[in-house]
Amino acid sequence: MTHPHQSILALYAGQDLGWFARRRTERHLARCRACRDEVEAFASARDNLIALNELPALSWSRLAIEMRANIRLGLAAGECVRGERTAGPLAGFGMLSNARAVAACASVMALVAAGLFLQRPAPTAPTAPAAALGEGSVLRATANGIELNQGGQTLSLLHVGCGDVTYSAGAQGSMRAGCVDSDTGNVTINNVYVQ
Amino acid sequence: MSSKLAILFVAGVTALCAQETPLDNSVKINLPADSPLTLISTNLGESHVSQRGSAVVLDLDVALTLHNSSPNRVRGVTLLVAAQEVTPGGKASVSVPSLDVAPNQNFPVRINLRLLRPAQMRGGPLVQVNLDGVLFQDFSFYGPNRLDSRRTMTAWEMEAQRDRKYFKSILAAHGMDGLKQALLESLNRQAERPRLDVQVSRGRAVTSAAVGEHNLRFAFLRFPDEPVEPVDGWAEIAGNEARNPRIDVRNLSSRQVRSVEIDWIVTDRQGKQYMAGSVPASGPEFNLKAGSTSRVLQDTTLRLSRLSNDGGTPLTVAGMTGFVGQVEFADGTVWIPNRESLANAQLLGILEPSPEEQRLMDLYRKKGPKALADELNKF
Repeated sequence: MTHPHQSILALYAGQDLGWFARRRTERHLARCRACRDEVEAFASARDNLIALNELPALSWSRLAIEMRANIRLGLAAGECVRGERTAGPLAGFGMLSNARAVAACASVMALVAAGLFLQRPAPTAPTAPAAALGEGSVLRATANGIELNQGGQTLSLLHVGCGDVTYSAGAQGSMRAGCVDSDTGNVTINNVYVQ
Repeated sequence: MSSKLAILFVAGVTALCAQETPLDNSVKINLPADSPLTLISTNLGESHVSQRGSAVVLDLDVALTLHNSSPNRVRGVTLLVAAQEVTPGGKASVSVPSLDVAPNQNFPVRINLRLLRPAQMRGGPLVQVNLDGVLFQDFSFYGPNRLDSRRTMTAWEMEAQRDRKYFKSILAAHGMDGLKQALLESLNRQAERPRLDVQVSRGRAVTSAAVGEHNLRFAFLRFPDEPVEPVDGWAEIAGNEARNPRIDVRNLSSRQVRSVEIDWIVTDRQGKQYMAGSVPASGPEFNLKAGSTSRVLQDTTLRLSRLSNDGGTPLTVAGMTGFVGQVEFADGTVWIPNRESLANAQLLGILEPSPEEQRLMDLYRKKGPKALADELNKF
C-alpha cells in the first residue's frame, strides 16, 4: 500500500486539501490505521497551536505607557533616595542606603524586563505585528474575522458558523470577508472600514 | 499568615472581576420610520461582557429577524455597524446579498461583533446598527447609502444573475452531469486559489525600510466590452508593502461614469499570481465624463504575506496586473466583466468567487446536484 506523503496528511488535518485530494486521502485513511494516527497527531498539534495563539487581549500601547510611567517613577524614587543619603538621617548608614539603592535599581530592572517581555511580538501574527505599520489604524484578517485596531482598542466582525471564508482588501481602507452561514444558507459579507 | 490571607483575598476579588457578566442595553437597532424593512425581533443569544486585565471585551452575538414590508422582492440588505466610542474612525457593515425575500416574508441577519476597550470607559449604547440600504429585484434601492452599498449590492446582484445564467446554460446544454462537472471545477478552483494575508492601513507606513523602495508599473488586462480602460498606473513597492496605487483611466463609453473599481493582482518572484485587492474611485471628486481621462488613487499601504502552513511569509512584489472590475454610471447602472472574459483572461482561478457562486457551491456540497438544479430553475 502506498501511503500519502506526510505533508498531504498535515494538509488534510488542517482541512486545507482540495476536494479531489481530500476524497483520495479519505479513501486511504478509511483503510490505513497508521495514517489515521498521523492525521490525529497533526490535528492535535494544530489544536495546541491554536490554544497557544489565544493570548489574552492586551492593550500593548497602554501597557507601554504604564511601563514608562512606572520606570520614571522608579527613577524619581531613586533620586529621592540619593538625596536623602547625602543630607538626610540615613547618611551615616551606608550599608542600608546601598541596599535601598540596589532594591530601587532591581525594581527598575524588573520593570524594564517585564516591559520587554510584554512588548514582544505576539505569536498570532503571521507577519510583523500590526502596530508596526504605523501610528494609525490597521485592518487585518484574523483566524475568525476582521479586526480594526486603533491604539489598542479593537473592533472585530467575526464570522461564526461559516464554512470557507473569502477575504478581499480595498485600497480605500477596507477589508471584506464573505462566507455562507451554515444555518440559513445565506451569504453574509462583513466589511470593516478604516479612515 | 496575614499576607497569605491578603493574597487569597486579592485573588478572589480578581476572579470575581474576571467573571463574565451579562450584556445590558449595549446595542441599538435603528430603522427609519419609512423603511421597507421592519424589525421583528432582536436576539442577543450568547452575547456577554468579560474582563481581561484592564480591558473589557464585549462579544455581541446579535440575531435579527427582519420583515419585508415592501411590495417588492428583496435581493440584498446592508446594515451599518458603528462603535464610535471604541473606534472613532472606524465603522463596519454586514451585508446579505443573493437574497430572494418575497413581500411579507421574514428573514434573518446575524451580526457577530467583538469590541475591546478600556474598563473605565462609560457611555450610552456601544453599538449602533443602522440600515444603509436595501436592494430590490428591479434594482431599485432604498437607504441613505453612506457606505456606497447601492453600487456594491447592485454589482453583487449582477454577478449573481451572470453566474446563475452560466450554470443554467450548462444544465440546459449538458444536463446534470455537466452541472456537476462545472461545480466540481468551481470547488477545485477555489480550493487551489492562492491566497494572501493582507494588512491595510491608511497613509504611509512609518517603520518600513526605505531600502529598495521603487515605483512599479501596472500591466493591464483588457476586456472587449469594457466601458472604461486603464491607461497607465503604478504603486510604490518596498519589500512586501505596496503603497499609494495610482491608475489613470479613460471613459470609452458615451455615458458619464460615477465610480470605477480596478482589481489588483500581484505576482511574486516565482511568477505566482495573487489577488491583492481592489482600487476603487468614487465620490464627488471623481467625475469621468464621456471620453475623458481621470486618475484613481488611494493613500493606502497594503502589507502582503503568503498564507501557508509555515505561518505566512512576506511576499516580495515582482509584478502587478490590473483590470477593470466594476464601473458604475451616473444613472446607477453597473457594468461588470462577463464570465467568458474572466475565463479567457485566466482570472477565474485568481479571483474570489461571487457571493452567489459561493452560495451555489455550498448548496451543491450540502444538498447535491438536484437541489442546485431546483434552485437555479427558481430564477
